[in-house]
Amino acid sequence: MIVERAVQLGFAIVAVGLWYLVTVTGAVSALFLPAPNDVAAALISLVRTDGFWSAVRVTLTTIAAAYALAVIAGVLTGYALTRSRLLTGAFEPLVSGAFAIPITLFFPLFILFFGIGPESKLAYGAVYGFFPIALNTIAGFANADRRLVDAARSMGIGPAGILRHVLFPAAFPVILTGLRIGFFICFASILGGEAISSDSGIGHNIALTAELFEPAQMYAWIVCVVIAALALNGAVSAIDRRFRET
Amino acid sequence: MSITGAELARAFPVRRRFFAAGDGGTLLRWATLALLLCFWEAGARIAGNTGLIAAPTSVVRALFAQVLSDADVRGALFSAVLEISAAYALAVTGGLLIGLAVGWTRFGRNSMFPIVLLFYAIPQAVLLPLFTLGFGIGPAAKIAFGCSHGIFPVIVNTVAGMRNINPLYVSAARAMGASRRDIIRNVILPHMVGSFFAGLRLAMTMTLLGVILAELYVSTGGIGFYTRQFADNFDPAPLFALVLSLAMIAIAMNTLVRVAERRYTRWKN
Amino acid sequence: MRISKSGHLIVPAIAVRNVTQTYGAPGDLRRVVALENISFAVERGEFVTLLGPSGCGKSTLLNIIGGLVEPSQGAVLVGDSPVTKPMPEQMAYVFQESTLFPWYTVGENFALLFRYRGVERPEWKSRTADALAAVGMQAFAAYYPRQLSVGMRQRINLARGIAAGTDILLMDEPFAALDEQSRMVLGEDLSALLSRTGKTILFVTHSIAEAVFLSDRIFVMSSRPGRIKSVITVDEPHPRPPAFMLQSRFAELRNACYSLLRDEIRTAMAEASA
Repeated sequence: MIVERAVQLGFAIVAVGLWYLVTVTGAVSALFLPAPNDVAAALISLVRTDGFWSAVRVTLTTIAAAYALAVIAGVLTGYALTRSRLLTGAFEPLVSGAFAIPITLFFPLFILFFGIGPESKLAYGAVYGFFPIALNTIAGFANADRRLVDAARSMGIGPAGILRHVLFPAAFPVILTGLRIGFFICFASILGGEAISSDSGIGHNIALTAELFEPAQMYAWIVCVVIAALALNGAVSAIDRRFRET
Repeated sequence: MSITGAELARAFPVRRRFFAAGDGGTLLRWATLALLLCFWEAGARIAGNTGLIAAPTSVVRALFAQVLSDADVRGALFSAVLEISAAYALAVTGGLLIGLAVGWTRFGRNSMFPIVLLFYAIPQAVLLPLFTLGFGIGPAAKIAFGCSHGIFPVIVNTVAGMRNINPLYVSAARAMGASRRDIIRNVILPHMVGSFFAGLRLAMTMTLLGVILAELYVSTGGIGFYTRQFADNFDPAPLFALVLSLAMIAIAMNTLVRVAERRYTRWKN
Repeated sequence: MRISKSGHLIVPAIAVRNVTQTYGAPGDLRRVVALENISFAVERGEFVTLLGPSGCGKSTLLNIIGGLVEPSQGAVLVGDSPVTKPMPEQMAYVFQESTLFPWYTVGENFALLFRYRGVERPEWKSRTADALAAVGMQAFAAYYPRQLSVGMRQRINLARGIAAGTDILLMDEPFAALDEQSRMVLGEDLSALLSRTGKTILFVTHSIAEAVFLSDRIFVMSSRPGRIKSVITVDEPHPRPPAFMLQSRFAELRNACYSLLRDEIRTAMAEASA
């Protein structure tokens, strides 16, 4: 375990070292890859500006709202589609088939409808995140053990009680996986959307700094996103691991 | 093959009528889609010329009149297909090589693989401006970006496929005097085929995603140019048509991969 | 129909009248007649077993009686009331495999039952302890089902069925998942329980020895379509000691059942592999 961690740490150090070397010697144009210290400086000054925090706020609220929509719509739809075998057979292939086409294709349509403000990214992220959540909800409820439902019915438990004591606990682990995937999809798709066409937000600033040929700032923004992504990922893994242990 | 009453009872609990859910389901699905299409047509016509929505009929008309017949737009679509193919080829071969290198030893798997996963966790969309900065706004950037998306599932699945290889097979092959290349070809690759092909399907989806993202980002040429033009002019019909064409390309590429998978894994089941 | 000494009509605990169960519309290639024109009555305090080969519809019949499935034709009466849906006040159902909810502890599973049976909350703990003690599982109230062995789970499952406090118990091959020895021990316990509580038990099994040891009457069923082929009466008072299994009368009854079943079993086997 320690040896592997050491290798990873070594990898990180070597990577940063190479970065420094490559920029100092001018092997790579500074326009593409500025020196690490430049990026660090840009990062520090960036975090002090108001523009940074307002962009962060825009992106985070967009992600939060999109995710909330996706969760509500996804879980409700998923649950509704499992209420009868006919419904599931009819519409589940539709949902899983639609997911196979990258929703990214329809991004221009969202821009057409909602303009380049955060609303288009919100709608886009919500639609994108809807699919894995709905699919996993369907899978979770559809695979609930029928015999447990029968047992509950024979005990006189009504439909509300069955949902609460049988269906929901049975479906929960699968739904949770869907919620996790949905979150990362919202996160990534909204950032991408902001980069392609937006007037605000983190993704927009990354694209902007690239256009204005301010590479150090661009890398600073990217580093922020990377840190956030890794932190989120680590948090989710930790929660997941704690959950598994019970 | 007969079904026991118990199994039937479990499949169709408290319904009196025997509902063949398969057949009824397909009917319902198509009926709903047809109904939605009608609503779309009606709604678009009622709304008139808002510049936001186009009726399906005008979309189809625009598809032939403005998208497929216009040489420039057609060219953009064609180069997109080329870029996807190139990116996919690179992603698959590159991913296979890297996956083999990383997954070859347990040490490699435990130390390098988490790094790969770390990269996987980063939303790559934010690196898009970086790619255009480095590769310019031509096809190279789009191929590179698509490749960077598609390569990860291939690596992950390759490594996963190598995890469970019985070391006895490798030792037996070595004892027979097999070279490293032989071992890869005759022991490792066949073992990994199943997991590999599952990765290939995902890789195509991801490559599509990457190339499309890159194309949309670059608004000075290619698909991105036309999406921007149609959107700015509030000309929804050709925009819908363009998106439809891309969707059909995506479906076609996915189908190709699925067909290849079925053909090469015929011996499995 | 039975008449009491005073001349009153005694209403049977369960009355099954002309129950037929078919799946599939007429003309459908996949049409299956699971049960055909089943009629019988179970008296209060009786232990009746449905004995038959696999796939003969005995579980389906139990589901119909329990109100979980509506029959295509015919009706079931519990006391005076027709059965259209589960009647948790009159009937408790013990399933073949443990249907303890895996996300609740054993105790919580019992609490859920008591809550829906209208038992007062303060009584839950003591009632759970009593029910578990009856099957020797009192130490495991705080455990999750997955922490227990299959046999333990099924014993607790049985305890939960008894704890429901109903007059009628429907049991669908409750000992099928247990090893032979556990089956014998639990069979003895069940016989003792019957004599103690006077519950009416409708039991499904394909074990002939079990049927003869436990039942007052055995309904031997034919293979699909399921019909009551014959009724065998076991005239031995409860509680039945293990020595009962060694008597020649036991062997005679067992052979009688087997000769009735043998052809049905072969038919069922041939069908299963078709």
